[in-house]
Amino acid sequence: MKYILMMNTMKAGHGVPEWPMKDLQAHIAFMMNLNKGVAERGELVSAEGLSFPDQAKLVRADKNGRPITDGVFPESKEFLAGFWIIDVDSPERAYAVAAQISAAPGPGGAPLNMSIELRPVMSAPPKELL
Amino acid sequence: MKYILLMSGTQAGVAGYHTWSKQDIEAHMAVLHRINKDLNASGEFIATQGLSDPRQAKLVCGEKNGTPVTDGVFPESKEFLLGYWIVDGASAERAYAIAGQISAAPGPGGRPTNMPIEVRQFASHESKSN
Repeated sequence: MKYILMMNTMKAGHGVPEWPMKDLQAHIAFMMNLNKGVAERGELVSAEGLSFPDQAKLVRADKNGRPITDGVFPESKEFLAGFWIIDVDSPERAYAVAAQISAAPGPGGAPLNMSIELRPVMSAPPKELL
Repeated sequence: MKYILLMSGTQAGVAGYHTWSKQDIEAHMAVLHRINKDLNASGEFIATQGLSDPRQAKLVCGEKNGTPVTDGVFPESKEFLLGYWIVDGASAERAYAIAGQISAAPGPGGRPTNMPIEVRQFASHESKSN
């Protein structure tokens, strides 16, 4: 079963966290180690980090299909910071990986305990829609 | 440059989609397929994925000892990721143009949905997918 684990923690206007370098390095090392562990179990499909919200744009088509871009967001909007797609045997295993990510260290090495949104990934659109 | 184009919507929006006629859904999917095909032909396509219904979403936090705690209750206003495209475009403008095409995909009665597509650049140094 494929699941996507989404880290939706960043707010509008957010840049690189102002953590001490040591804490940032510990956070990144934790994530790289976690990816390695999941990859070694053959469960990692992909993992991506996204740029910061100050570079995000919202695009709509105008009447002629041309893109209209907007970069102004409500302060409360949550942005995707990164995601993992994993292929695991059970929802419980997906929850366990999400909890590991949630426990990644933040400032001073304390676990962030951030929320990770977890969703099954569809393998293909239902046949009747094709 | 790699970009992710995010299509998001609320539970109410997803419920509305389920009321579209078969013909409208087919026309919508046909346009999205054509966009994917064109991106493949131009060598810009990397990945696309639809996600399951938001009713299957869970929010996971790690407890102090890393045990997963799951929650499936969300505010009505929460926007869920419905699906995404990852493209490798020559410029931000090209990514916006593709997002504009997706935004212009037809909805009920063949009218463009003009739904907003969030465009974000990858933090390339953290990229793990090809």
